[in-house]
Amino acid sequence: MRKRKTGKTMLVSLLLVLSLAVTACGSGNNEAAEPSATAAATDAAAATAAPTTAPAAEDGLYSIEDFSPQKTNQGEAIEGGTLNYGLVSDTPFEGTLNYTFYSGNPDSKVLQWFDEGLLTWDKDYVFTNDGAATYEVSEDGRTFTFTIRDNVNWHDGKPVTAEDWAFAYEVIGNPAYDGPRYGSDFTNVEGMEAYHAGTAKTISGIKVLSEKQLQVTYIKSTPSLLTGGIWIYPLAKHIFGGMDVAKISASPEVRQNPIGFGPFKVQSIVPGESVVFVKNEDYWRGAPKLDGVVLKVVAPTTVVQELKAGNIDMVDSFPIDQFPDNSGLSNVEYLGMVDQAYTYIGFKLGKWDATNAVVVPDPKAKMANVALRKAMWQAVDNNAVGQKFYHGLRWNATTLIPPSHPEFHDDSNPGVAYDPEAAKKTLEDAGFKMNGEFRTNPDGTPLTINFISMTGSDVAEPLAQYYVQSWKAIGLNVTLEMVEFNTFYDRVGSNGEDDPSVDVYQGAWSVGIDVNPQGLYGHDAIYNFPRYQSDENDRLMEAGISAEAFDVEKRKEIYNEWQQLMVEEIPVFPTLYRAIVVPVNNRVLNYAINDGSGIYLNELALSADKGIAAQ
Amino acid sequence: MWKIIVRRLLIMIPQVFLLSILVFLMAKAMPGDALTGMLDPNIDPAAIEAMRERLGLNDPWYIQYWNWISNAVQGDLGQSFNFKMPVTELIGQRLMNTVWLSLVTLVLTYLIAIPLGIISGRFNDTWGDRLITGYTYVGFAAPLFIVALLMLWMFGFYFSWFPTGGSVAPGEVPGTFSYLLSKLYHMLLPALSIALITTVGTVQYLRNEIIDMKQKDFILTARAKGASESRVYNRHILRNSLLPIAAFFGYELTGLIGGTIFVESIFSYPGMGQLFLGSIVIRDFTVVTALVLLYGIATIIGSLLSDIILSIVDPRIRIK
Repeated sequence: MRKRKTGKTMLVSLLLVLSLAVTACGSGNNEAAEPSATAAATDAAAATAAPTTAPAAEDGLYSIEDFSPQKTNQGEAIEGGTLNYGLVSDTPFEGTLNYTFYSGNPDSKVLQWFDEGLLTWDKDYVFTNDGAATYEVSEDGRTFTFTIRDNVNWHDGKPVTAEDWAFAYEVIGNPAYDGPRYGSDFTNVEGMEAYHAGTAKTISGIKVLSEKQLQVTYIKSTPSLLTGGIWIYPLAKHIFGGMDVAKISASPEVRQNPIGFGPFKVQSIVPGESVVFVKNEDYWRGAPKLDGVVLKVVAPTTVVQELKAGNIDMVDSFPIDQFPDNSGLSNVEYLGMVDQAYTYIGFKLGKWDATNAVVVPDPKAKMANVALRKAMWQAVDNNAVGQKFYHGLRWNATTLIPPSHPEFHDDSNPGVAYDPEAAKKTLEDAGFKMNGEFRTNPDGTPLTINFISMTGSDVAEPLAQYYVQSWKAIGLNVTLEMVEFNTFYDRVGSNGEDDPSVDVYQGAWSVGIDVNPQGLYGHDAIYNFPRYQSDENDRLMEAGISAEAFDVEKRKEIYNEWQQLMVEEIPVFPTLYRAIVVPVNNRVLNYAINDGSGIYLNELALSADKGIAAQ
Repeated sequence: MWKIIVRRLLIMIPQVFLLSILVFLMAKAMPGDALTGMLDPNIDPAAIEAMRERLGLNDPWYIQYWNWISNAVQGDLGQSFNFKMPVTELIGQRLMNTVWLSLVTLVLTYLIAIPLGIISGRFNDTWGDRLITGYTYVGFAAPLFIVALLMLWMFGFYFSWFPTGGSVAPGEVPGTFSYLLSKLYHMLLPALSIALITTVGTVQYLRNEIIDMKQKDFILTARAKGASESRVYNRHILRNSLLPIAAFFGYELTGLIGGTIFVESIFSYPGMGQLFLGSIVIRDFTVVTALVLLYGIATIIGSLLSDIILSIVDPRIRIK
């Protein structure tokens, strides 16, 4: 009897584990992964002055405009001190602690303390000359000459050289490289493809001019090069130079004693759970004010308690659904900014042709009629969704370039406004007539639209149901299916095998720092899930990265035009923009979360010995 | 005896083999793979496809299985995609944490169970007994993860008597005495949480055994011979009642390895359970299959261990 019981408990707990895992999945990943090469949020420029207290909520609603991305300093800095940093995660960090090799976002949160890119960028995500290296562009815009500052040294005292930088390119271009970085940023370097294929011994486009000077020549000059299109992380050749490329990522020099040239040095690591950093006296911007930083992994379920107790001073991210209940914590200040992401509803308009790697629009697709798509946009009230489900921390989206890119987001474009009566009229005019409870196609055949959405958060299903009801209100018969993250993207077509039964889906994108939308809406992009293509779209995409787009005003014009085109053609429509909100203990000084704040980690300071606890 | 053990070990081989096929197929049946989560416009889809090809994820399942099992037999469980290190090394790091947690839990379980069981059994139907059985019923009813969360909140955060996450304080140097102390300190609260719940079965078992034993003829004989009450309980009743408890030690051990999964997640304790959950979420198949296999083997060995102990402590039972 006893034996049977044990077996049963094992099985039940296994089942529980599996079901738990499935839900966790969606919540962890219901948007695409973070921007890859550019995860250090604390790099870079000017922020506006901040309000001093946590934003007050009227009727339980918040607005991102009431948050500052920059911490208000309270009190005088003490000498030294140790800051406690919480890495909020269900899982331990992976421990691939090198920019060239890491792939998980948690690792990048560890990396930011002890390593950094050679270039920094401003609030518009354009590379500046304030970083560890400066750059010059040739007349034709294809050749970049980088000069690393003289006082930039690795933690072991050796100088960071142009050789190290070139070495990073060689490792990533090596066919044995096992990280995710080799892509269009690298194939755009002259001679890279020949090197990758093994037909050339060196990369012809990369020249080491002197110890501190590197020259990189690109095949095609585009403004995207200046916004994250350049690989800016050197790889210490004096350490990794002798290793087999395939073995670097598992080596102790990456995992146990990682090296960088950032403001702090790694002192000790408990794999997956904590890292102790000490200050790097030799940091090129000047020695940090703190003595050190202790980073530990904190579960999302306990992060609020840790913050209340003052055990951790700040976190990399904060579960937004816990914010309304804890917005009044007396010992922290909440910083906020607009996330580089948007949620959207997409319409399947064609298929993916795997052999030619292009999208093939299908003019006979169920959603091919633009009036139908427009009516579906008009039918949903996204401001109400943001207020009801997210306390105002998500709000109505208008165009496909989110306001996290203020330079290119077209504020004056209102998108398509909520107006159910207009939606009915749009459908009526296009010939979608009511027949009984629902409308039919213009040719009289019944119209049933299949809508899939991701599970994950508590509000995922009610939110999707809201959309279904809104569409029902204008006479559309929409059936909803909730699926888990992996299945969702399988069916939408992340492998190029689109499920033909999907007509409409709700997804989300993290957009990265470069505004160029080609990776999501280009005719050769597999992530173009709506499988939308038009000549006008192709023209604007090309224009956006052409030589003339180096002129920012011109580029704005092009992308404004593209945003308008998307509002007219509606292959997808954006639903919500979102806010990032993170708490910071009151004792922390000189801290900002936005890009281009001009506040760097070496300036971080504390005003008290111990973390302040909540009253 | 030795024959039996060898035979049981031989039977284990097809069992484990079957288990491995099942586990492998189930893992493959999950939608998505380790690379699905990397859906990101900043990462070239071609690069992801190339990685998929290199990892062999595009091969048919029997080829993947063959590659996996032929390596596994040689002790190579593959490479964790997520952690980019050999699975054996990864599990090695976590295994010791779980083993230590299980051991401390086991000790605490018996430390609680034996005195409570004895009191409850010896003084049955008194208020003390009712209190203890009351506790066991609550223990049966209370789900482990709720109790663990409560304990964490109360003793970890409210009273701040115990650390609230991790397996060791950051910055401790391995090998020193303070490192060991710190490790013990970190596992005390999770271990206590599990022990408080898992112990209730043993308490009741012991209580029933003692009450049962009290009415046996040989106890009457002992009393008739004038043995003191404490001698009757300590020498005659307790010894006999403990036998079945000892026999189930093996099962207890395997139960613990499975039972720490949730507690490890709640206490952010980096053991195998936490690794298991995390690996399922991100579809790190090599780790998931290796761990399930390990859990399976542990269960089989646990039951073998129990049978062996049982046959040693109880001469009436002989496995044939």
